[in-house]
Formats: sequence, C-alpha cells, structure tokens
Amino acid sequence: MLKWAAQTIVLLGVVALFATLASQAAANFDKSNISFGWQWLSDPTGVQVREGIDTLPDSGARALLVGIINTLRVAISGIIVATILGTIVGIARLSSNWIVNKIATTYIEAIRNVPLLVQIFFWSALAIGLPAITAEDVGEYWFKASNRGFAFAWVFPNGGFWPWLIFVIVGYVVGRRVATMRKRHQEDTGEPGHSGRYMALVIVAFAVVGWFAWPILGFLEPVFDALDGFVSGLPSILVPIVIAVAAVIIAALWIRNFFESRRTPAGFGKMTDDDWFRVIFVAFSGIAIAALAFIIGGYEVRTVRGEVLSVAQLIIDALGNLMGWTADKFNTDNYNTVVEGVRSGGPLVFEKAEVILRGGAAIPQFGEKGMVLSIPFFAIWTGVTLYTAAFIAEIVRGGILAVPKGQTEAAMAMGLKRGQYLRQIILPQAFRIILPPMGNQYLNLAKNTSLGLAVAYADIVAVGTTIINQTGQSLPVVFVWMAFFLTMSLVLSAIVNYYNRKLQLVER
Amino acid sequence: MTDAMTALELEFAPEPPPKGARVWLRDNLFSTPASGVMTIVSITVVVLAIRGLLNFLFDPLRRWDAVTFNMKLLMVQAFPADELWRIWWSVGIIVALLAASFAVWRIGGMAEPREVGRVLTGTGGLLLLAGVVGPFTSDTGAWISTGRIIWLGLGTILVGLGYAARAFTGARAKQPIIPIMGLVAVLILLIVAVLWTVEVPVPGKVVDGEVITSGAEAAGVQGLQVKVLRPVASTTTIPWTIIAAVGIIVYGLFRLIGGASLSRAIKRTLTVLWLLSFPVLLLVLLRNPEWDLEAGVSTFLPAFVVFAVVGAVLMWFVSKPGLGEIGRVVGALVLIVAFASFLVPMPFLFRFLLLALALFTLAGPTFGGEGWKGLAGAWVITVVLITFFVFTTTTDSGINVPGSFFLGGLSLTIVLAFTSIVLSFPLGVILALGRTSTMPIFRLLSTAYIELVRGVPLITWLLVAFLMLPVALPTGVELGGVIRAVGAMTFFSAAYLAENVRGGLQSIAVGQREASRALGMSTVQMIVFITLPQALRAVIPALVGQVIALFKDTSLVTIVGLFDFLHIARQIIPAQSQPFSFLGSIKETLIFAALVYWLFTFTFSRISLRLEKRLGVGER
Repeated sequence: MLKWAAQTIVLLGVVALFATLASQAAANFDKSNISFGWQWLSDPTGVQVREGIDTLPDSGARALLVGIINTLRVAISGIIVATILGTIVGIARLSSNWIVNKIATTYIEAIRNVPLLVQIFFWSALAIGLPAITAEDVGEYWFKASNRGFAFAWVFPNGGFWPWLIFVIVGYVVGRRVATMRKRHQEDTGEPGHSGRYMALVIVAFAVVGWFAWPILGFLEPVFDALDGFVSGLPSILVPIVIAVAAVIIAALWIRNFFESRRTPAGFGKMTDDDWFRVIFVAFSGIAIAALAFIIGGYEVRTVRGEVLSVAQLIIDALGNLMGWTADKFNTDNYNTVVEGVRSGGPLVFEKAEVILRGGAAIPQFGEKGMVLSIPFFAIWTGVTLYTAAFIAEIVRGGILAVPKGQTEAAMAMGLKRGQYLRQIILPQAFRIILPPMGNQYLNLAKNTSLGLAVAYADIVAVGTTIINQTGQSLPVVFVWMAFFLTMSLVLSAIVNYYNRKLQLVER
Repeated sequence: MTDAMTALELEFAPEPPPKGARVWLRDNLFSTPASGVMTIVSITVVVLAIRGLLNFLFDPLRRWDAVTFNMKLLMVQAFPADELWRIWWSVGIIVALLAASFAVWRIGGMAEPREVGRVLTGTGGLLLLAGVVGPFTSDTGAWISTGRIIWLGLGTILVGLGYAARAFTGARAKQPIIPIMGLVAVLILLIVAVLWTVEVPVPGKVVDGEVITSGAEAAGVQGLQVKVLRPVASTTTIPWTIIAAVGIIVYGLFRLIGGASLSRAIKRTLTVLWLLSFPVLLLVLLRNPEWDLEAGVSTFLPAFVVFAVVGAVLMWFVSKPGLGEIGRVVGALVLIVAFASFLVPMPFLFRFLLLALALFTLAGPTFGGEGWKGLAGAWVITVVLITFFVFTTTTDSGINVPGSFFLGGLSLTIVLAFTSIVLSFPLGVILALGRTSTMPIFRLLSTAYIELVRGVPLITWLLVAFLMLPVALPTGVELGGVIRAVGAMTFFSAAYLAENVRGGLQSIAVGQREASRALGMSTVQMIVFITLPQALRAVIPALVGQVIALFKDTSLVTIVGLFDFLHIARQIIPAQSQPFSFLGSIKETLIFAALVYWLFTFTFSRISLRLEKRLGVGER
C-alpha cells in the first residue's frame, strides 16, 4: 500500500512539474504572439538548405525531409566505412607484426582521446585551406580536391535502375538458396561445395540478365497506376479505423499472451502488482492510441497548395503518391526519353567529375557530373567515421581476445592456415561478442552526425534550428528531432537485436 | 605448424635465452612473406606520415605565436590580471591534493627497467627518425643544421638511456624496481627546466626599427607584424615552478608519514578535503563573492540554527527503535511539506533545506537506533553546505569580467565537466535504482527518462536548454548560459551513468540479496549497505569512461556560444586582429586544443588504469 502511495505521489509530482512548465510555456507563447502548432510543416518557411535533394524546399516538412536525408547519408555511409576500417585496425592491433601493431595503437589512442568536435573543425579547416578552382582547371577528373569540395568519378542509378535492382535482389535470394544446397552437398559427401562461388555466380548471372531484360518488368507500371487510383479513392475515415483496430488488436493479443505465459499446470499463476500494472498499462496504451488516431486523423491542415484537408486524407494522398512514384519507376517509355539526357546507358552509369565554367561571368566550378562532396559533408563524415572506427577497433580487438585460446590451437592442430582460421573460426565467434557494443557505436555515430550543425552541414538539427529561427516554433521542432532520433535508435536496435538472436540460435 | 611448435616450447621453457636484434626483426617484422610486405609498406607510410606532419608543424607559415600570445585567453579568458593569483592558488591546491592522494593511496607502483628502457628507446627512435626525415635544412640549404643536430642528439641520448636502463640493471631488468612516481617527478622537473630555457615564438610589431612584443604597447600602433623568439614570461615560469615543487614536496612528505598508523585518518581527511575543495575553490577563491554580512546574520544564520536543531531532534525521534512505520510517515509528511513549499513564495534556501530534511527523515529509520548521532552530524554538515552554497551563489561576484560568467577557456571546460559529473552522480544512481526497482511506476518513469535522454544527441538537449527552457520558465527566473549548459549535461550524463550503475546492480549475485533479507534488513537498508556499494565498486571503470566522455562532450557548448576552451580556440583567436593579427590561424589553435584535450583524457585514462589495479576491480 505504502509502495503504491509513494509511486502515485511521485507520478503526480512529475505530471505537475510538466503541467507547470507547459502552462508557463503556453502563457509565454501567447505573450510573444507565437501560436504553437504544426501549420509550419505545410507552410512555406523560406528556409534555404545549403545542400541536399532540394535546396529551396517549398514547406517546413520538405525542409526537414531534406535534413533527414542528409543525416542518413552521413550516417549510413559512415557506418559502412567505419565498420570496415575499425575491423581492419582492430585486427591490426592484434597483429604479430610490431610496426603494424604500433600504427594501429597510435591511431586509436590519438583519435579516441580528442573530442569529436575538435576533429570535425580540424577537417573543415584543412579542407577550406585547399586551393580554389581556377579557369585552367576546366576538364574531366577522376578526383579533384578544392576549397569548394571534393569531386570524383562515381556510379549513378540510371533509367531502369529500380527494375534491375529487383533482378539483383531475386538473384541474391536464389543465390542464398543455391549456397545452402551446396553446403548441404558438402556436408553429405565431403566434396568441396564452393558455396560462396556458386552464390556469387548466380547473383552475377541475374545482374547480367537483368541489365538487358529489365524492360520486361514494365508491366508493373499499369498495376501500380491502378493501385494509385484505388488507394486515392478510399474514404479518409478508413485510416483512423485501421490504426485504431490494429492498436486494440495488438494490445489484446499481448494481454492474452501475457496471461498465457503466467499460466501454470495448476491454472493461472499468481499475478504480482507489477504484472497487473503491465496489463493495465498495455490496455490503456491500446485504447489511447486508438482514440488519438481519430483525434489526429480529423485534424485539418492547410496544404502547400492552399487546400484544407484532414490529416487522414493527407495520409491517403501520400500512399497514393507512393504508388504513383513506384509506377513511374517501372515506366519504360519514360526512360527512353530520359536516355537522351545526361545519364544514358544501362541501369547504372559511370561518370567522371568535371570542372566547368558557368554563368555570365564564367565562374569555374564543379559541374553536375560525378560525385561532388561539400566541405561540411567531408568534415562531418571524416570526423564521425574516423572517430567511430577507433572505438569499433577496440570492440573488435576485445571480441577476438574473448574467443578462447583453445579455438586457435584446435584450428592450428587441424592444419588451417592463419587466414582460414581467422575467417572461419575466430571471427564468427568474435562477431557474437562484438555485435551488441557495435550496435551502440552505430547509434553513437548516427547521433554524432548532429554535430554537423557546427560546420553548417544541413542535417536535421541544423535545418531544425533554421526553422526555429524563422518561425519561432521551437517546441514542435524539438518534437520532430526527438521522434526522428528515437525512431532511428529503435530501427537500429531492432536490426542489431535481430542479428543477435539469429547468431545466438546458431550456437546450439 | 611452426608457430604452434614454438608456442608449445615457450610454454615449457622457464626463461627463453636473450635474443639478438636479428631474431627480434625476424619474429616481429618478417615472420612471413606477407608480414614482410606489410612491414615495408607500413614503414613507408610511417616515414611519409612523420615527414608530412613535421612539414606541417614546422612550416614557417604556421602561426604558433597565435597560441603563445593568447595563452591566458585560452586558459581563463578575461579573468582580471591582478586577480590571477586566485587561479594559481586553485591549481596549486588541486596539485597538492593530487600529490597527497597519490602518496596515501599508493597510486603508481613500480616499473621494470626493461619496460622503462623500451619506452625511452622507442621515443628516442622516433626522435631520430624525425631528425632524419624532418624539414630541418639550414639557412644555406645544407642537409645538416642546428635543428637537425638537436633532434638527432636528443634521440641518441634517449636511446642511450634506454639501453643503459637495461644494461646496468642486469639480471634485475625484469623486476619492478623503478618507482613510477619517481619517473613522473623527473618528467615534471624536465618540463620545468624546459619552461625556463626554451624560447617560444611570439608576435611582435616593428616600430621605428624596434620590435614591440607587449600586447598593451602594440595596440593601435601601426607597424609590420613579425614573429620573434622570446623566453617564456616569468609570470608563467615562476608559478609553475612553485606548483611543481609543492607537488613533489607534498608527495614526498605524505609518502613519509603515509605508512604510519595515521593512514586511515589521513585518507578520511583527504576525502573530505576533495569533496570540499571544489565548491570552496570555485565559489569562494575563484569567484570572490562580495559577502552581504547583514543578510547573512539576519536570514541565513537563524535559518541555519533552526533547521539544524529541528533536524537533529527529528533524526533522534525517527531513529528510535520500535517506532515501526511512524518514522516513515513523519518523513512522508515532511516530504509533502517540502513539495508544497514550491507552491508558495519563499526563499529558495528554505525549499532546499526542507527537501533535504525530508530525505534525511525518510532515511532515519534505516540507520536506526544508535546510528542517529552520526545521522544528525551528517545533517548539520548538510545544512552548513546548503546554507553556504545558497548564501554564496546569491551574492555578486567580485571578479569583474565583461560578459556573463567569470571563467572562460580551459577553466570553464573543467568546471563544466566537473560540476556536471558530480551533480549527475546522485541522479544517475537514483535512476538506476528506479529502473531495477520492483515498483512498476518508478521503473516506467526511470526507463522512459533514460531511453528518451539517451536516444537523442547531447547537442539537441543543449539547444533545448538554450532555445526552449527560457520559454518554459516563470517570468523573473533567468538562468545564465553556464547554468543551462551544466543542467543539460547533468541530465544527459545522468541517463548514461544510470545505465552503467544498472550494469553493476545486475552483476551482484542473488545470494547477496537473499543473505541481507535473511538478516532482516529492509529494502532500503539492503540497497544502501549491501547492493549499492558493491555495484558502484564494480562499475568504477565504466564511470571513469563516463567522466572522460563528458570531458570531451563539454566541447559541444561552443555551438551554443559559451566561451569554453574550444570556442576561444576556434572562434575568438582566428578572428583576432588587434593588437596582433591572427586571422586564419585556426589550424594552429585547433591542434593546440586537440593536444590539451588529449593530454587530459590520456592522463586520466592511465591514472584510472592504475586506480583499477589498486582497487582490485575485476580480480575478485
């Protein structure tokens, strides 16, 4: 009883604290004539974004989307490179070669102990000190560094990329199947199965065939067009209904499973206070989400085009647009006309970077071709990648050291070569230990991209700050930040947990 | 196959015979063809990297005078020059405390001559390499030059010393016989000697054929700006020499008396001094508050007396044995009064004191019986601290600094890190207890807090503190930038700390809990006396990691415009044009900043390694 009284008092205290802050904030907002709301999402905010898919976004939501994509660009490419670099350095740290070992140690100790922000500023300062592009530089390049950024040759998706990608994905699935069959064959007969080679071969075969055969997927275009028409015609009330029903059903299923798990052979087990609280909490959340779906779904907003629509209708429209976008990706006619443009050839196109003269004053600058990385992107990307790689290296080292020494000795006794036992005996076991802390590092990297704000990289935090400065809508923007970062955390930890479970099943 | 053979042989051989350089090269650099290729590639990379680095650092265009001229700005920003003794005294007191603690807790231990020799040889080898590949040609373009001779000479001396350390100790080369703190003392003396002898580049202006290096004289004067070499100013060398001497003498003294039976008392005194040092140094010595004695006598003294007496009586009452739940009910009542005090207007001092009183009363029954005297003593000390704290912070600072806060630069960075970590510690422990609690609402609240705060980057929380907090606060309440930053970092760090402490709590064997239950302990007693001490001990390495991370994270406050170390290094100095122009010297200042941060974190992580060994964490 005392326990519940204490908990209730503290809960009320927390609620009261938030209520006081909120009411104070509302009062202050009223005083400063800023009405707090979400209309800015679809209003033109006049925000300019320095780089991204759209430098002059027409609405707040669009500006945030540009920021989100910029953040993800750094995060995803950074995670891939940091993992590779970190693994190499981590293994080098254990190398029996003295000098390789020392280089790895120096790298880790130097990078780890200096604040990331200092490093980011340093990379930025270094890049800004590079020579400028002059009129003499006009031409094509494999790689070109200047104080306006870095340009290099790159492979880009072209017309037919998406249909071709479907071929490759199918090839991957089939390849996995073939590889499993080959492995079984090896286990049954003892003959070498070459499963890896078979898999690679299948994927390459599919990719090659798809390179030429992708237009046959053109029949998907009318299918998605029809879906577009169907979805757009749905009544908007369906959206809250579907969400509400799903929420209630999920809550009900959870509660049923929970009761089942408490069942003992002699009937229901004893439910503790804690258990009852969980059940009540889940039931309450389910109902609350259902109610919120209707309330938010009915909320009316003014869109960029000036129409007043309900949120539910907006979601329907967005789904329809998604179908239309997908249909467009399979539109073969469309591509035949695009092919005459800059990017032509197969589903992928290779381009060298170029320096051109542009404008009336003929200012030398990087052209549209090739990959051009801005200085802020370079600074933040190099900073987070090198920084995270140092931490990953220590994790990899710890994971490898944690594999029992007997495994190495057994592998050597069986006559495996160094590369073989590292790849087939040590790393798979170390991976199991490495994975959870690695997931943490990925999360850190993703969160650290927010430091891009300091070098004016247009990530979600920087774009958000600009929106706050322009519209004064600080609270909603902070909500968006939180929602974005929490979603990213959830997705990343879901992926890590998935692999974690999978690896642990392998164990026995 | 051969590797396995040697491994086996080594295991059985008691002491392998000393190997020559050729064997070492073969084993460590050219064991396999692949390893040989890697060695050659790596050596090329190292030589190129060192050459590039030296070329960069010793380029005549580098503006290192931007760093030397602005040293005071980087360290303490605009702290008045005639009040600088406050800073020196603070540094001296901290160094003395550190030295005493190192001596009493015997941090350091012994090193093997072989290890020392290896470090010396390695450093010397690097210097030799740098001397050979570095850009030290003489003015006439000859390869051999004074600079190169100095590098090569230093390298040779170090290599020689390293060889001597091994050669002259003979058979004892593998026994720990060299005290590490002795080496540290030698290093400190060397640094002091360098301070007195070295000449550093400083900016100067050529006016009428004379070079003016004083900033005050050069201000507003036209003249060609040049770089000249000057010895380090005596205002820097003398205090550092004294501080170094104090540190070494205090260490020696405490080593002499530390072994005696006094040791326990000394340790306790030192702990109290450490706890007191921070608020006293920061709030009194550095801040120089202009005490308002009248208010002190009329409000603070009576409040102190009343609360101290009432609290002590309450302690005595609630810890009477056989009182049952009445003690806790009284505590809850005081807690409600404390909460209510936030709704009615009254000085903050009373609210804080009431809140503390509620916590003490709630804790009373736990320490029950005869323990009440200790509890009452702790209460009186708490009242003294809280009254002192509120009294000091409500008076104006006697340090007149343009801007808001009286510290800036590295001193602000240290204060930010230290305050946040100290404040986040209790919050983190409470959150960890909440998350591992069996009470669902506490667990839900703690979990929500921890996950919400950890899921979002620190910079977002700093922006919230700077953009949104002013909106949510009642009119009239304004918080300075430093306080807001400390608040944001405290809340952020508490969430991470809570997860570390939770790890410790979960590592405690169930038997410990069951045993304490069997002894009839209450839940609070079990947590305070059994689980928490063990948990905290187990997570010391993680907590030190947290301190290092927070120290690095303080650099983020530059984004919200506080004048911390990084802000001055990357924003203020590269934009300076008077009295000397350092425009565009950002690379130099950033490298210096990186070096200082590195020295702090690296030293700290090494000390923590030693500390872990002394505490025997992970060995039980």
